[in-house]
Amino acid sequence: MKTKMVISVMSKDRPGIIADVTGALLQLEGDVADLNQTVLCGYLTMILGVTFPSGITREDIFASISHVKSGEKFEISVKELPETENFNEIPQPEESYILSLQGPNCKGIVHAVSSICGRNNVNIIDLGTSLQQDRYTMAVQCSIKEATCTLEELRKEFEEYGRDANQTIMMQHYDLFRATNEVTLH
Amino acid sequence: MLRSDQILSTVEMIQKENLDVRTVTMGINLLDCHAETVAKTCANIEEKIHTFAGNFVPTCNEMGERYGIPVVNKRISVTPIAFVGAGFERDGFVEIAKALDRAATSVGVDILGGFSAQVEKGMTQTDHEFIASIPDALAQTEKICASINIATTKKGINMDALAMMGHTIKAIAEKTADNNGFGAAKFVVFCNQPGDNPFMAGAIHGLEESEAVLNVGVSGPGVIARALDRLIAAHPEPGALQFDELAEEIKQTTFRVTRCGELIGRAVSMSLGIEFGVVDLSLAPTPAIGDSVGEIFKILGVDAIGAPGSTAILAMLNDAVKKGGIFASKTVGGLSGAFIPVMEDSLLAEAVGDGSLCLEKLEAMTCVCSVGLDMVAIPGSVDADTISAIIADEMAIGVINAKTTAARLIPVPGKEVGDSVSFGGLFGAAPIMPIRNIGKSSRFIAWGGRMPAPIHSFKN
Repeated sequence: MKTKMVISVMSKDRPGIIADVTGALLQLEGDVADLNQTVLCGYLTMILGVTFPSGITREDIFASISHVKSGEKFEISVKELPETENFNEIPQPEESYILSLQGPNCKGIVHAVSSICGRNNVNIIDLGTSLQQDRYTMAVQCSIKEATCTLEELRKEFEEYGRDANQTIMMQHYDLFRATNEVTLH
Repeated sequence: MLRSDQILSTVEMIQKENLDVRTVTMGINLLDCHAETVAKTCANIEEKIHTFAGNFVPTCNEMGERYGIPVVNKRISVTPIAFVGAGFERDGFVEIAKALDRAATSVGVDILGGFSAQVEKGMTQTDHEFIASIPDALAQTEKICASINIATTKKGINMDALAMMGHTIKAIAEKTADNNGFGAAKFVVFCNQPGDNPFMAGAIHGLEESEAVLNVGVSGPGVIARALDRLIAAHPEPGALQFDELAEEIKQTTFRVTRCGELIGRAVSMSLGIEFGVVDLSLAPTPAIGDSVGEIFKILGVDAIGAPGSTAILAMLNDAVKKGGIFASKTVGGLSGAFIPVMEDSLLAEAVGDGSLCLEKLEAMTCVCSVGLDMVAIPGSVDADTISAIIADEMAIGVINAKTTAARLIPVPGKEVGDSVSFGGLFGAAPIMPIRNIGKSSRFIAWGGRMPAPIHSFKN
């Protein structure tokens, strides 16, 4: 029986962090099934899905990664997945939409948008923001499969927020963005 | 997750450039509707259209809502009616037109095309009866569009049919004189008419097509114009952009626009269980501000539409649209080129008014784009033979160059050069186009017979 762990690591960014962390996991015979990383404000954060031989514990993983020599201590979090869940069985939600927001920067935008999502049981799958010359841009991928309102109602709620907050908000099906940006025709 | 710049480029297309799907057109074969009587044939036609297209409009609206891209027009094309009504007489064809009109209204489509005949080589007695019925059919219906294919590259031009076209157009205009000859705006004469074109007035469901099929027309020229504007604004310094870079921008924008059409068309197709046909890449302008092919001429460097350079610009535009679109879609068809319908494009109409665009230049431009002399309002006094001769020139361009060409000329009753005409809505408005050398082609039209098919070698 294998053990499946989800591990998150945050550290000051420098060349070689991913090699060091995955090297530490390899020493425990860990097999990286999935990895996602990003750098923000000079800090790197990564989240990994790793399969280990049975018997490997959360403490073993903490210890192995903590031994990596780095300028700053890693912040590590480890969760064990139930046996019934698999890394590669998280399909793209059927009703996945992209919410895009553009406008002047102001406080509380992410909170407001995510609150509307949360209130209507819309699950945020991915979210990215950028700020250029006081122009704020946010792109949110979300699933409305379990939403407690209709798409029309959701669009209306975002429109109202956009009007009040002087932001332009649009919500389009994810497939539209794939179709217009990917070579492969799905 | 896609990168945010990719997301924003698509968002800009939708938001600022009025991206839409210009039309989803359902082609329906009506051959099996033919019965012994006109009445039974009409009943069969209405029943079949209801069966196939009953949920068509709501489904298009639902998909438009789901994807956040509107489907502007929902249309139907049918098997050329001269085949469906074989053996019927003129009055019978008028009854069929009325039945089609009722069916189109009942299922809620904007317009229905296919009141048509294909007579590029010869005409049957039915074809004669059918052609004779067109003026009344168009005058007594609202949503019906008619077309006649009188020429192909393989058969040449049917000169007998050509001679009839001038008289037919005049008769249609006169029957609808109380509306400035509007009926003629719903009648097109074709060379090499495609059987899968989703755009009106020339849409038919060709004999080569299956029982029912969905064809999609992509968004209009406004999207291309705004993309070019943005590119040029980002490179303000002289010499920063060259013509090939503008062509590349058109190509990439068309790719994205075509993908949107394909996505929504296939979603409608899957939902209705009706085969997906083709994406037609044509850039079809509308009279709305910012949705003009004429505007693209000006963006690309001529200060007047019709000025030297206009044909070259149109050639590049047409080619770049095809290059971008063909890679984006599994199946491309229809007309797939830039349209230059004068009345439907406010800047082209303006160019006619200020004298910068004349009929001869327009004809030259149709050599490098689809679809031909489209929506040109001419003086009501122009004689039938002159109209047929103008059509003959346009047909010859199509025959020799192995491309689709067409003529949609509107001799506006009681109007002359200096006047204007407006049909409103998508059909637009324009000043009356001057016609030179009126009445000097009758001996040519009188020959009749056929213009033989051209040789396909020694291309010069």
